[in-house]
Amino acid sequence: MSDSEEHHFESKADAGASKTYPQQAGTIRKNGYIVIKNRPCKVVEVSTSKTGKHGHAKCHFVGIDIFTAKKLEDIVPSSHNCDVPHVNRTDYQLIDISEDGFVSLLTENGNTKDDLKLPTDDSLLTQIKDGFAEGKDLVVSVMSAMGEEQICALKDIGPK
Amino acid sequence: MQGFPERGGPGPGPGPNDLAHLQATMHTIELACASIQMHINPAAAEATILSLCQSPQPYKSCQFILENSQVPDARFQAAAAIRDAAIREWGFLTADDRRSLLSFCLSFVMQHASSNEGFVLAKVSSVAAQLMKRGWLDTTAVEKEAFFNQVNQAVLGIHGLDVQFTGVNFLESLVSEFSPSTSSAMGLPREFHEQCRRSLEIDYLKMFYCWARDAALSVTNRIVESKSEVPEVKVCNAALRLMLQILNWDFHLNNNSVKTSINVFSAGARLDIDSSKRSECTLVQPGPAWRDVLISSGHIGWLVNLYAALRQKFSREGYWLDCPIAVSARKLIVQFCSLTGTIFLSDNGQMHEHHLLQLLSGIIEWIDPPEAVAKAIGCGKSESEMLDGCRALLSIANVTTPFVFDRLLMSIRPFGTLTLLSTLMCEVVKVLMSTYPEEETWSWEARDILLDTWTALLVPLDSTGGNAMLPPEGINAAGNLFALIVESELKAASSALTDDVDGDYLQSSISAMDERLSSYALIARAAIHVAIPLLTKLFSERFARLNQGRGIIDPTETLEEVYSLLLIAGHVLADEGEGETPLVPYAIQTYFTDNMGADEHPVIVLSSSIIGFAEQSLDPKMRASVFSPRLLEAVIWFFARWSCTYLMNPEEVRETQSQDHQLQSQQLRKGLHSFFREHNQGKLVLDIIVRVSVTTLLSYPGEKDLQALTCYQLLHALVREKHICVHLVSLDSWRNLANAFANEKSLFLLDLAHQRSLAQTLVHSASGLINSEASNQYIRDLMGHMATYLRELSSKNDLKSVAQQPDIILLVSCVLERLRGVATASEPRTQKAIYELGFSVMNPILVLLEVYKHESAVVYLLLKFVVAWVNGQISYLEAHETAIVVDFCMRLLQLYSSHNIGKISVSLSSSLLSEAKTEKYKDLRALLQLLSSLCSKDMVDFSSDSIETQGTNISQVVYFGLHIVTPLISLDLLKYPKLCHDYFALLSHLLEVYPETVAQLNSEAFVHVLGTLDFGLHHQDAEIIDMCLRSLKALASYHYKETASGKTGLGLHAAGHKDSGGNLQEGILSQFLRSLLQLLLFEDYSPDLVGSAADALLPLILCEQGLYQRLGNELIERQANPTLRSRLVNALQSLISANQLSSTLDRINYQRFRKNLNNFLIEVRGFLRTM
Repeated sequence: MSDSEEHHFESKADAGASKTYPQQAGTIRKNGYIVIKNRPCKVVEVSTSKTGKHGHAKCHFVGIDIFTAKKLEDIVPSSHNCDVPHVNRTDYQLIDISEDGFVSLLTENGNTKDDLKLPTDDSLLTQIKDGFAEGKDLVVSVMSAMGEEQICALKDIGPK
Repeated sequence: MQGFPERGGPGPGPGPNDLAHLQATMHTIELACASIQMHINPAAAEATILSLCQSPQPYKSCQFILENSQVPDARFQAAAAIRDAAIREWGFLTADDRRSLLSFCLSFVMQHASSNEGFVLAKVSSVAAQLMKRGWLDTTAVEKEAFFNQVNQAVLGIHGLDVQFTGVNFLESLVSEFSPSTSSAMGLPREFHEQCRRSLEIDYLKMFYCWARDAALSVTNRIVESKSEVPEVKVCNAALRLMLQILNWDFHLNNNSVKTSINVFSAGARLDIDSSKRSECTLVQPGPAWRDVLISSGHIGWLVNLYAALRQKFSREGYWLDCPIAVSARKLIVQFCSLTGTIFLSDNGQMHEHHLLQLLSGIIEWIDPPEAVAKAIGCGKSESEMLDGCRALLSIANVTTPFVFDRLLMSIRPFGTLTLLSTLMCEVVKVLMSTYPEEETWSWEARDILLDTWTALLVPLDSTGGNAMLPPEGINAAGNLFALIVESELKAASSALTDDVDGDYLQSSISAMDERLSSYALIARAAIHVAIPLLTKLFSERFARLNQGRGIIDPTETLEEVYSLLLIAGHVLADEGEGETPLVPYAIQTYFTDNMGADEHPVIVLSSSIIGFAEQSLDPKMRASVFSPRLLEAVIWFFARWSCTYLMNPEEVRETQSQDHQLQSQQLRKGLHSFFREHNQGKLVLDIIVRVSVTTLLSYPGEKDLQALTCYQLLHALVREKHICVHLVSLDSWRNLANAFANEKSLFLLDLAHQRSLAQTLVHSASGLINSEASNQYIRDLMGHMATYLRELSSKNDLKSVAQQPDIILLVSCVLERLRGVATASEPRTQKAIYELGFSVMNPILVLLEVYKHESAVVYLLLKFVVAWVNGQISYLEAHETAIVVDFCMRLLQLYSSHNIGKISVSLSSSLLSEAKTEKYKDLRALLQLLSSLCSKDMVDFSSDSIETQGTNISQVVYFGLHIVTPLISLDLLKYPKLCHDYFALLSHLLEVYPETVAQLNSEAFVHVLGTLDFGLHHQDAEIIDMCLRSLKALASYHYKETASGKTGLGLHAAGHKDSGGNLQEGILSQFLRSLLQLLLFEDYSPDLVGSAADALLPLILCEQGLYQRLGNELIERQANPTLRSRLVNALQSLISANQLSSTLDRINYQRFRKNLNNFLIEVRGFLRTM
């Protein structure tokens, strides 16, 4: 490996702490993530257009806020940088659902994590609660980005 | 829902009770019609009407309604009900019933001819036509004769104008019913429609035409003489329409008279390619039998005179340019222009020419003089006559050679037809220039028709590739026209700058523009000696303007002009290759023969000046001021197209040319070809092209469209030829590109798909290296870094946290896409290096699959790489390598499955949820493709030893894979058509090739697989059903053969068992026999499937004879009507016994059973489905 790419291939040691990363707008694709109006979004549509016939390309993004599901849009010249959120997902085993709407989760190192609230939306809530009530062994995936977290998926791992 | 109980068929006159009942029915239907009209509970009303259609033998009620109801809608519905019931019950109506229904309909229309509810009459008349057709093959000629006599009397006008009109209309419905494209479905095999069509064409069509002509003739004088509109016009118009319709008939008999049996599937497609230059244009070829009617009887003269007389009347009351009779007459005239084939004597085309001249002398009035016509339209005259004139020219162009076309007009005008065509089009272009860019006007349509005309004239007639040459006058006309076209395009280009064209619109208009440009190119090539110097001149003017005005004046207008010129020049100089190597266009090859010096050769001058211009884009200053992304797009497009034809054209000389041509063109080639060949300018030009390409990739960040053109069109085209690759790999510029690709950061910022394509291109270029060793080394150098990167990343301790960083995700995605690009470019020569490359990242792939299990975009890329790699490698692998790859694939499948099975995405956003589902679908499709690739190892294997030596059994591997994948495929996911298709393709392949392994699946997996099969049987797509039927056939015949030889076959699966609840579950074959019979007898499906259904049904019946008997008995018992019952008994009996059907599963037996099933279904499906 030559020196020039060393810099590129290895990420800086302190970069892990950053909540967002800059990335050229042209490289952001459908199904990727982007920050629009300071919200982390999943990109559901990208289109490029030109500014005038002999101008440069621009990207038009339609994103859906990964936490609130609100639709957001942005237009950025394709050679400029956009912020891309650092989206992390962690799996936890679901231990308990408390009355006040919090869940109790088992972390990898054996501790519990009790600060996560259940979603407020009814249908999501019932999906989680019903599964739990049936006594299945549930693993929940918790998605976190830019200081927020939310349950994004659940999975039955119990024996049949 | 109400029913309409009936008392038997049509009997003696209604008694008092009957009368009351009939009136009640009528009242109900009238009420339903009224409520539909007023939108009061339409569903219930529709159900009422439907129940009338579906009730057995509703004829008396319907006739009663038709005769007595005051509500036209009710009468309409009654007619529809007669049609539905009669078609359904036709099989068991007596001959008298049939006849009386038909004559009722016909006499109804005749009697009510003067009524003003046209739609009821039209409906009844079409019902009569359908009944006529349904019984066509059973009716004797004498009966038909008697029937048509009545119609003839009506058409001749004996019973007055209204009846005459009705008679003509009935014939129109009849002809349209017999024409395959407009016939209505009758639930009969295609052969039936085909036989009817033939019979009508042979025996009746010409007669109908004569009747229509006579009807029109009988009223012509009245029309011509009268001063204002007369009622006869209606009859004349109907007759003209009928004639037009008959001339639109797809005549077959004269074209393929040798054919002994009717091939119903290809009968619709015309095979006579030679005679039709353009597929869209329908030629009228009725054959010699029609000569007396259409040609020798002065028919054309009458028609042309009729229209001329109508033209005189246009100022009068009741007539205008677009009045129905004028429109019909013009359409008929245009249709006559397409008349061709054996109807004309083979007298060197004289008769044909005379015919066309006769037509043209009438048509010329519509379009000549063009200036005056265009002016009149500009002042508000309707353009339809002029457009019809253009269409007539198009039709004539389609049936003549350019010479004949040009000569036609000479006898009545001082100039030829080509000159007229050219002036006409010039006028149209002028109008276009003045109205551009407003919304679509008549001039657009006229331009398109006229362009088609030019194309029809200029496109090569024969396969030798020679363009049709024009007469000198025509060449000049084409030259003038091309100059004007270029002028108009340039004007359009520079003026279109101001308007904001919306992106979608632009995209859709590009293909239309492409077509237009290729027509322009044909015109330009017709006058090539003018066209190329003209383009050169225009280019150099604009280049000069750009250079002088740099930084002083706004170049946008000029840029836009250069853009258009590049597109035009590209089309004129070279053809679209579409994957083949296009030759230098014939016109260019043949024309410039006396131009010896390479520097003076017009094509070389033009090409060099464009290349020189493009080279300036390498200069950063020029790039900033002149080369906008859009302009460079045109340059790249031009390069791609041009280089396929001219760049380093291999040294072959075609032997197909005639002797003297060869001499000439060889000399030309010396000039033109060698100029851009290896030892001359070729390498220099190639270098420029590569450098410009690299510039577009490196210096235009984020310009996806431009880079897409470079990657997909230009670079792909360059590496397609090995002799170009040889030079490519020796160029410094190409090495720089490869180097930048491996190391440069900016190339990681390209679109992912572009990176993949670039990787593919670079690997392809390795074919230019001396030997396989060098090629393999080249690939190792190119991709080594990236493989190492993946390995290092996957072995990091903090991988889990690092991997989620967006920059790492981006990098991993890039590397995976590049790997995939390399994998798709697998060739025997580079196979070794690519295998090693994939082998070295196998473990990292599994690690990454684990880490990125929530990052669906990365997972998809991972899977796609593996699919591409396995697909490219599998057939070359040796046994031990195969074992490794197979093992790897299975681990991949299991890992993927363990992450995804039972997973539920939770999100507020419905669009995100549906995205998640789509992603899952794409993943699964990739996995199925992986399994299919593995499957192919059994079919194509280039390795030296058998894979069995390592104990790998492909069929077991694939079944095991299927076992892992199928639980992930829910019935919901099968709604994605592509996934569904892939899944069933794989399944039917597996079942057909390895039925023995299916028995080894555990019962849960087995039930799931067969559950999907059942789902597929009821799918919409006929192809899917077909695949399922093939699977069933394979399963059942396997079981039958095995058990016959004393083995277990499907064993427990077929035997039936008790489920956990203690209920007896039927064996799977029984279940399928049941559901297949249910499908065949009671549900809707395409008739094309009957064959494959028969193939599946036969082994099922043989396996489960007892059940078949039981099901048959159930059917019989359910049937109350004794006649139908006995029919059913007989039909069921002959299904399994007719045609000496035996109980073996060989080809002949399958064939016999197919026939039996067809007959069986025709016999019983009609009543089973309705009763």
